[in-house]
Amino acid sequence: MNRRRREFGAQVRAVCRKELSDALRDRRSLLSALLYPLIMPLMVAVMFGAMSRVLSSDRPLEAPVAGREHAPNLVAWLEERGVVVEDPPADPEAAVRDGDVDLVLIIDEEYGEQFRSVQPAVVRIVHDSSRTASETSVRRVRNLLRGYSSQVAVLRLIARGVSPGVIQAVRVDDLDLATPAQSAARIFAMLPMFLIMVAFVGGMHVAIDTTAGERERQSLEPLLVNPVSRAALTTGKWIATCLFGLVATLLTLVVFVLMMRFVPLEELGMQLGLGTRQLLLMSIAVAPLALFASAVQMFVATFARSFKEAQTYVSLLIFVPIVPSVALQIYPLQPTGWMMLVPALSHHLLLVDVMGGEPVTALSLLTSAVAATLLAVLLLFLTSRLLQQEKIVFGRG
Amino acid sequence: MIEVRGLERRFGEVVAVDGVSFTAGDGRITGLLGPNGAGKTTTLRTLYGLLRPDAGAVAVDGVDAVADPLAVQRLIGVLPDAHGLYVRLTAREHLRYVGELHALDAATIASSIERLVSLLDMSEIIDRRVEGFSTGERMKVAVGRALVHDPPNLLLDEPTSGLDVMSTRAMRTLIRELKDEGKCVLFSSHVMQEVSALCDDIVIIARGRAIAHGTPAELCQRAGEEDLEEAFVRIIGTDEGLQ
Repeated sequence: MNRRRREFGAQVRAVCRKELSDALRDRRSLLSALLYPLIMPLMVAVMFGAMSRVLSSDRPLEAPVAGREHAPNLVAWLEERGVVVEDPPADPEAAVRDGDVDLVLIIDEEYGEQFRSVQPAVVRIVHDSSRTASETSVRRVRNLLRGYSSQVAVLRLIARGVSPGVIQAVRVDDLDLATPAQSAARIFAMLPMFLIMVAFVGGMHVAIDTTAGERERQSLEPLLVNPVSRAALTTGKWIATCLFGLVATLLTLVVFVLMMRFVPLEELGMQLGLGTRQLLLMSIAVAPLALFASAVQMFVATFARSFKEAQTYVSLLIFVPIVPSVALQIYPLQPTGWMMLVPALSHHLLLVDVMGGEPVTALSLLTSAVAATLLAVLLLFLTSRLLQQEKIVFGRG
Repeated sequence: MIEVRGLERRFGEVVAVDGVSFTAGDGRITGLLGPNGAGKTTTLRTLYGLLRPDAGAVAVDGVDAVADPLAVQRLIGVLPDAHGLYVRLTAREHLRYVGELHALDAATIASSIERLVSLLDMSEIIDRRVEGFSTGERMKVAVGRALVHDPPNLLLDEPTSGLDVMSTRAMRTLIRELKDEGKCVLFSSHVMQEVSALCDDIVIIARGRAIAHGTPAELCQRAGEEDLEEAFVRIIGTDEGLQ
């Protein structure tokens, strides 16, 4: 019995080592483990970079003004409020259309005349509303002009002995309750979903290559003529697959955190409180999912008739675990006990709680981990049973 | 020693093996000769434990292959019908993998690989990745896999198929050397010259039945022919499928 167990262990190690060195030399296996983890952080970084450029209001507002000599008071007022008044381009419309400038302010010759005769004095903003990059500048200029306009109007009313309140029937006060942490959380809600996906994608190619690939290459029969139990083979291949899934998942977390350092979060009024403790908790929460993901992908790929068929099934399978993540964003659920038993769902809930700074109980963590691991073991058992079948070993025509 | 008694195996409606019996002794080369589809591969696959027989018994050195396939697999070296390799691994890694699966210790595996490198003339290719190997070089690795654990019995399914003249000659020499070491060598072939050049015993299989069993001389005598080739044709009743 002892000898048997030692032999089993040695065989599992041998299979695992062989599959690892095989997979590490395979570009496709490496890509699925190393490339996907980089995609999400890159995506988020690009998105934030773009957002901060668009939203940033600290930047001095540059505004070319044509005909500034017609409204020296207005221009002085703008400059007082930090606007850098520039000389206008020769052809304002062409310059805006080509994107050389965000906008051009045009003050007509009649401005002074209109202003003095208490007619609405016309100031034109030349801009292109289809360009989101210039949206902020245009909005800021428009608000400044509106402010100047109402300030002058108020002064005129007071001069005529009328209360300025007369022209303001309704005053709108905004009270935005979203805290910076919450708005950050909304964007980072993608992270749990992405981690769950990577737990699957990371080991995907190894799972297919060691099962359907083994048969397709005609190396399954020579493998099975050795005195090795199907359980030892399946376990060894599973461990190799798990390692790929785990490395990919942890890599995603690490790259994400590193990337966050380079994103100007504060500029966006956000803060992401991912400390070492939370990172550790997230790793612990999501790791068991990689065990389950590897087992389920191996089972499906073993069952498939060919390598191609396995690829199709397994890549469709990846959409199943992100269903809870997507659904929970639309219909938020209060986590209850049974949900901790469902892989992907439990992992999503745990990750969201950890990221949101909510307390996570050891019991939920343990339930989620044990459930995912037990299901993985069950799937491993089923996979080794499949390998006992002659039709699976020699293929079904 | 390999014993097959009343072996039967069906695939759906098709009867692949229909009552095959023979014995392959130690220190002898036994050839399973028969046309394509006669049931040679099915017979071998039940021996190395990948197919279950519908009836009959298969045993290696007295161990029942149906009851304890893993014990039988320790006693045999197999060159299966399908002998795919892992293109990203070297020849040495292939041999080491098999040694590890047989739970041999590292020192035994290393000395076994040294022995095989000289036996199969693999010094040029042993540390190269299998990708880009010629058919003959691939066959060396596949045969090497069957010999890593130095098994007393060898099952070789069509060991010369696809090989050129030089590789075929090398394979014949190897099979004779294995016989001289006292091993029981059982191989299947549909090439008559192959079988007549090598075998001490010949089992002729056609349509799932073993229709004749004996030394080349016995078979000639039974058929009443001087020439082995004529004897085969007479025994099988047709020369269809034989080369």
